[in-house]
Amino acid sequence: MSQNRKNKFRINKMLRLIPVTLGSLALFFIYFPIFWLMLLSFSAEPLTGIPGGWHFEWYVDMVYGADRREGEAFVGDFQLKEPLTKSIVIATLTSLLCMVSAVLVGRSLPKMKSQGLLLFGFLVPLMVPGIVVGIGMFLFFRIGLGIKMGTWSLALAHFVWAFPFCLLVILVVVSRLDQRILEAARDLGATKTQTFFQIELPIIKPGIFAAGFFGFLLSFNELPFSIFMRKGDMTLPIYLWIQSGAHNSSVPLIFALSTIITIISMLVTYLIVRVGFGKE
Amino acid sequence: MDQPLLTVKNVSHRFGDIVALKRVSISAKKGEFLTLLGESGSGKTTLLRIIAGLETPTEVDNIKLSNHDITYFPADKRNCTTVFQSYALFPHMSVFKNIEYGLKIRKIEENQRRKKVEDTLELVRLTGFGDRKPSELSGGQKQRVALARALVTEPAVLLFDEPLGALDERLRVDMQVELKELHERLKMTFIYVTHSQEEALTMSDRIILMRQGEIEQEGPPHEIFDRPNSSFVAQFMGTENIFHGTVVSQNGEKCLISLNDHELEATWYGHENLQKGSKVFLAVRAERVELNPGKKRKNLFEGTVAKTIYKGKYSDHYINTDFGELKSRVWDKSSLQESEILFSLRPQDIIVMRH
Repeated sequence: MSQNRKNKFRINKMLRLIPVTLGSLALFFIYFPIFWLMLLSFSAEPLTGIPGGWHFEWYVDMVYGADRREGEAFVGDFQLKEPLTKSIVIATLTSLLCMVSAVLVGRSLPKMKSQGLLLFGFLVPLMVPGIVVGIGMFLFFRIGLGIKMGTWSLALAHFVWAFPFCLLVILVVVSRLDQRILEAARDLGATKTQTFFQIELPIIKPGIFAAGFFGFLLSFNELPFSIFMRKGDMTLPIYLWIQSGAHNSSVPLIFALSTIITIISMLVTYLIVRVGFGKE
Repeated sequence: MDQPLLTVKNVSHRFGDIVALKRVSISAKKGEFLTLLGESGSGKTTLLRIIAGLETPTEVDNIKLSNHDITYFPADKRNCTTVFQSYALFPHMSVFKNIEYGLKIRKIEENQRRKKVEDTLELVRLTGFGDRKPSELSGGQKQRVALARALVTEPAVLLFDEPLGALDERLRVDMQVELKELHERLKMTFIYVTHSQEEALTMSDRIILMRQGEIEQEGPPHEIFDRPNSSFVAQFMGTENIFHGTVVSQNGEKCLISLNDHELEATWYGHENLQKGSKVFLAVRAERVELNPGKKRKNLFEGTVAKTIYKGKYSDHYINTDFGELKSRVWDKSSLQESEILFSLRPQDIIVMRH
């Protein structure tokens, strides 16, 4: 009897290890490669894939240009400024588009009859491969709408990609908003417009900023759509992609840049989540 | 003078297939404290929301406020404000800003605004709380802010949607007294929705008791309490004893009712005459049952005490009688020794109601 119970206890204990192990493995596979890349960005011989011989040379190169060490093995024409500026401009446009449209759609969607189906319609881009949508959009924009490929086509494509995420964020804040607060404002004499700008907007503002930030980040990191929609434009992900495939590889610089972008993204995400979705 | 301030004529409302209001008409006089009383689903809140303009009725003849037809006015164009049960304070504004909001919308000049807000804060005993955020207040304080926010705009009618529902017992009793005093001081018109008969009785000038979208009975508190016109009203107002009987004779208020071969004298407050032999309900309050009375009383019966429940302030005796169980409430300490007792019911305490 007592032996039996002991065995049961042991089995339960072992069963409990399964989710813990799987969870830890998942976290390991997410963060270890990023961590490894960060280590390489401080290493002397990053292309060997083995960290060691620590220095900050690659970060210095990024700022002052790699050509200052002309005699060395890999001389790249690593020109960050143009793709970085382009990516920031496009990401800002995408973010603004996302904020405005996600607020408009997110506020009306819960009041509609077939909201489930509509929401599904908006979320489909998340499930279709980016390359497929990219080709389709390229043809539609060029031939269907006659739009020239460039900054705006990129921003539009990125908007299509980022919108579902932003919509989800807005839906969360809108569904948490107590409708009776809006009724109270109307009851006190505020018109619909006044109620929106003076009561509703300030309350859902953190959510709007969060949506805008996600829109920015998703656009900033987007590759598959951009390949088709860019024409001659160079965004940062495309530039990094080309550079990492080139022979005169500036890969070490890419490691350094990725490290910086990752750290900034994580910090800003943390702050947004803290400020926007923290305790009320 | 007797011209009502607010009238609602024949309003009906449906939510899908559910009928919330069936051709209800009400009116309120200037300065009146009118209570809409009823259980959940009786339509009382819907009626209040229709008056506020927050709900558009399915059908209505008209709604008039201070002689203006406001039937199709949106909520912001109606001169009435609501105190919500959920408080519905603006979470991103301070207490001061919350109260100031209605004045700002009305474009009242800043110095005047400041003074009015300060005065109202004092009125609801929240002086010094202006800078707090709603999240830093207790339930009772939030309710006071909600009240102040509605009061400060000086509406023609102040609407209350179960404002004390979320507060605990003691606070509720205190707030009842405070609201009543406020009403007497400001001489404003209050329309108050509640499901608590105690709240309704304490504060109202007049009570409208609603049931399933219709008005069951209306009148001043003592009338609703002492002269229910249906067994529903009697039960809702807490009448403990309700019996079935048959009319033997009726002459004005005097009424003879037969109850399981016993005849007793009761009182009929209706205007029409009762048919002989028609079925009626009788209502008797537990505290009006007289135990061990003098032998010459009317309606004198015998019974057996089945059980006694001690309630602290009073004791409830359950007496088995020839016409069913009767509950009797005794406020003094003396306990009943004998189990066989006599009891009497005064004719004016037996209320005859239609079946």
